[in-house]
Amino acid sequence: MWKPVHLFAFKKKFDFLRWRKPALILSTLINVVAILAVVFVGLNFGIDFKGGIALQVRAKQGAAAQLDALRATVGGLGVGEVSLQEFGEASTVLIRIQRQEGNAQCVAGAQRVMQKRSSAGWQVKPGAAGTGDVEFTAPQALDGAGWRDAVSRVGLTIVERQLPRGTTATAKVDMSPEQRAEWCQQVAIKAVEDAIGANYDIRGTESVGPKIGDELMMSGIWAVLATMAAIVVYVWFRYEWQFGVGALVAMLHDVITTLGVFVLLQLDFSLTALAAVLTIAGYSINDTVVIFDRVRENMRRYKKLGLIDLLNLSLNETLSRTLMTSGTVFVAVLALVVFGGPVLYSFSIGMLWGVIVGTYSSVWIACAALVYLNLRPDQLRPADEEAAKAKA
Amino acid sequence: MLNLPRWQTIVIIAITVLSGLFALPNLLPSNVLDALPHWYSQNRINLGLDLRGGAHFLLEADLRSVLTERLTNLSDSVRADMRKQQVGIKDVTVEPGRAVIVTLRDEAQRTKAIEAIRALDPTLAVSGSGDTIRLAYSEQELFRRKKEVIDQSIEILRRRVDETGTLEPTLVRQGDERILLQVPGIKDTTDLKRKINQTAKLTFHLVNEDVAAAGANIPATLPPTTFLVPTREGMQELRRTNPKAWEDIQAANPRMSPEQICRRYQPQCLPVLKRVVVGGEDLDDSKATFEQQQGGRPIISFTFNSAGGRAFCAATRANIGKRLAIQLDGEIISAPVVQSAICGGSGIITGSFTTQQTQEQALLLRSGALPATLTIIQESTVGADLGADAIQAGTVAALVGTVLVAIVMFVAYGPVFGGFANLAMLVNLLMVFAGMSILGASLTLPGMAGLVLTVGMAVDSNVLIYERVREEKALGRSAFSSIATGYERAMSAIIDANLTTLIAAVLLFGFGSGPIRGFATTLSLGLLTSMFSSTIFTRMLLAVWVRWRRPTELVI
Repeated sequence: MWKPVHLFAFKKKFDFLRWRKPALILSTLINVVAILAVVFVGLNFGIDFKGGIALQVRAKQGAAAQLDALRATVGGLGVGEVSLQEFGEASTVLIRIQRQEGNAQCVAGAQRVMQKRSSAGWQVKPGAAGTGDVEFTAPQALDGAGWRDAVSRVGLTIVERQLPRGTTATAKVDMSPEQRAEWCQQVAIKAVEDAIGANYDIRGTESVGPKIGDELMMSGIWAVLATMAAIVVYVWFRYEWQFGVGALVAMLHDVITTLGVFVLLQLDFSLTALAAVLTIAGYSINDTVVIFDRVRENMRRYKKLGLIDLLNLSLNETLSRTLMTSGTVFVAVLALVVFGGPVLYSFSIGMLWGVIVGTYSSVWIACAALVYLNLRPDQLRPADEEAAKAKA
Repeated sequence: MLNLPRWQTIVIIAITVLSGLFALPNLLPSNVLDALPHWYSQNRINLGLDLRGGAHFLLEADLRSVLTERLTNLSDSVRADMRKQQVGIKDVTVEPGRAVIVTLRDEAQRTKAIEAIRALDPTLAVSGSGDTIRLAYSEQELFRRKKEVIDQSIEILRRRVDETGTLEPTLVRQGDERILLQVPGIKDTTDLKRKINQTAKLTFHLVNEDVAAAGANIPATLPPTTFLVPTREGMQELRRTNPKAWEDIQAANPRMSPEQICRRYQPQCLPVLKRVVVGGEDLDDSKATFEQQQGGRPIISFTFNSAGGRAFCAATRANIGKRLAIQLDGEIISAPVVQSAICGGSGIITGSFTTQQTQEQALLLRSGALPATLTIIQESTVGADLGADAIQAGTVAALVGTVLVAIVMFVAYGPVFGGFANLAMLVNLLMVFAGMSILGASLTLPGMAGLVLTVGMAVDSNVLIYERVREEKALGRSAFSSIATGYERAMSAIIDANLTTLIAAVLLFGFGSGPIRGFATTLSLGLLTSMFSSTIFTRMLLAVWVRWRRPTELVI
């Protein structure tokens, strides 16, 4: 049987806190850059937060996707901004379309969809300006059931009272501008299906209307703030206030730099990415707590040791477990990055960064903060120092 | 600390074995599962739509329009009532979605007007001053009405989406005005959206009493004006007694006509006249209420629009004493006897009903029309092959992650301690599977990511314990004492570390929706169960091991 491998089998005496000033400067720089990047460049929000449409399509018979041709086709549909991205393999493309505004182009698109899916005689026109009304003209007169069936081809659900009585060839559907914008998401999906359906299979569709997008954005921000607050309150209850502040600063550091990484790599910031940020906030504390636990223990044991020495001692004692706990999570996340597939990619990259930076910040941010917050006087009286040395 | 009482050991082993039993159906191949009893093998984790494939819709009901319509109706009846009570009114206006404003000619008549309005509808909140009276629904009433509209929409959607009873759609109310619709396994959402738009066919027919009086359930010949329609009870009876026939009827394509069903399967049927007295499109509302007199029996009341009211009036006047059959989608849901001419545009159906029956019938009558426009505000469709890809990616990542973590633990802590930690990690995974089976939670792709993370985090507790054991050992403690103190002293850091991450996971669960909830579920379950597997379970293993091997020196 083999023998266990000890990390740092030699007597560890790193003077971690000697590097606290350079680390502080470095971290401040990185954070300032990250904040500036988030403010001025902005996160690459996915449709979860921005609203919009994402279609995952694959070229039929496994052919390589023609990105340029696709871009030209979809871009010409009047659905607004379109972005394409190869997704996992050469035949698969993720088409992202901006959230729909419910404008005249959308109504024109609805007419094309009706003409293609029903018959060429259909006309669709916007109603009076300022409303979201839409007027449909059918090639022949239709009754209630006929109308309902016809307009469902463009993804419109209508109730009976919105229909004209009896059998008619025109129908005006009353909508508010907001309702029309939501409906236009459906129109855009169908327009794309019609335009590229001959050469591509649609593997998955996601559509987030403007209203939900705004709501998710707000609740996402609240979720991040509430999580951080709850964790800090917990640490504050369990430890002295300086530890709470140290943990908070380290956590902010981790969350902000993670956001910076999302901007830098222009990773899709979706709900899963938000999940990564929240998990990092929770996990950032893990290493910190392990170190703080030891610092507190040593504070009781070495009553007269100076703060810097005390912290260095605690850091050295906990070093191998800090590296081991981060290491196990790191290899697990690495497996996600490599094998987890394109859907989880931004989540995995975010987590990978979070694990690394969380370890760094536990040492140089959280512990250094204790120094600046005067957890205990740094320079003790000479007599104490002698005693401390003798004891150590 | 290491001398566990026997009962503790038994409880720990029992928990572990039970978790294994609960998790097992998820791990066995399907041919083994088929051989097991159903009550056990069905106990499996649901796959989320992103893995299974299917469609997810979030629909928003346009409640404002519904409310405005109700208020417009109210303003009409207020106007009529004021005229009857001889209260002079200048104007009645509707504030869209909010209230009705009545402006009086003479302020002195205010009290009289308010009294009349209260008699009209006691649930209204009356405010305003001087010559204006503002009528609005109270908060409670508003909430009740909204809930009614949403519940009704859900019932109608269920009927429409799942006419064959095989799709297993999930339909839930979300918040005040939204409905979540999930249909696993379907790819073509165009068809689904068309179904949402479909209306159940509701028609009123007179029963051909001459044919019915002859007594045969299925007469051999019928006059050309008459056809046979099965009754709802008859069809339910058929479904109970002859499920095969019922399935054939559901699967038949093209659909069988009511008469064909009657002739072939002979359920209870009624001969009705082909002529439609009134169609469902003319029915405005129906609700379950109670009779005013005669002991308050449960009854169903219904209201027609003006065209429907006129047609209904003429038909009932001419056919007093005959039965009027109400046909919904090829079944007769009720055939009450016409007691008198019904001309007010509204009527009641009496009979020996229970409250539950009247509610059901009223709902069926309403199920012709959706009460509110439903807008799709969020949609996601996942094809089955995309789901299969996701399952594969998630499974490979989970396996590789687990193996890598296991190797790290073996290398760092040796075959014994590393082995125990890895065993604990496997027990932890079993417990997560078991927990999800019991909770009926869905496994999603982010949920699989949560599992991988859990694997990496679960062994952290063992790392903390083992490192502490090493320290204690370095201080010169005996093998037994190092292990005991190691567990004791590592505990506070383990609890803090797990709880902080758990806080994030639980908040994420509260905030998130769909696949993200899956992540929060596996992560929080995994952290909770790891507190058992990594500490209590490994401590038991080590206690047994120490007593068995009696090591003089720990190899850790």
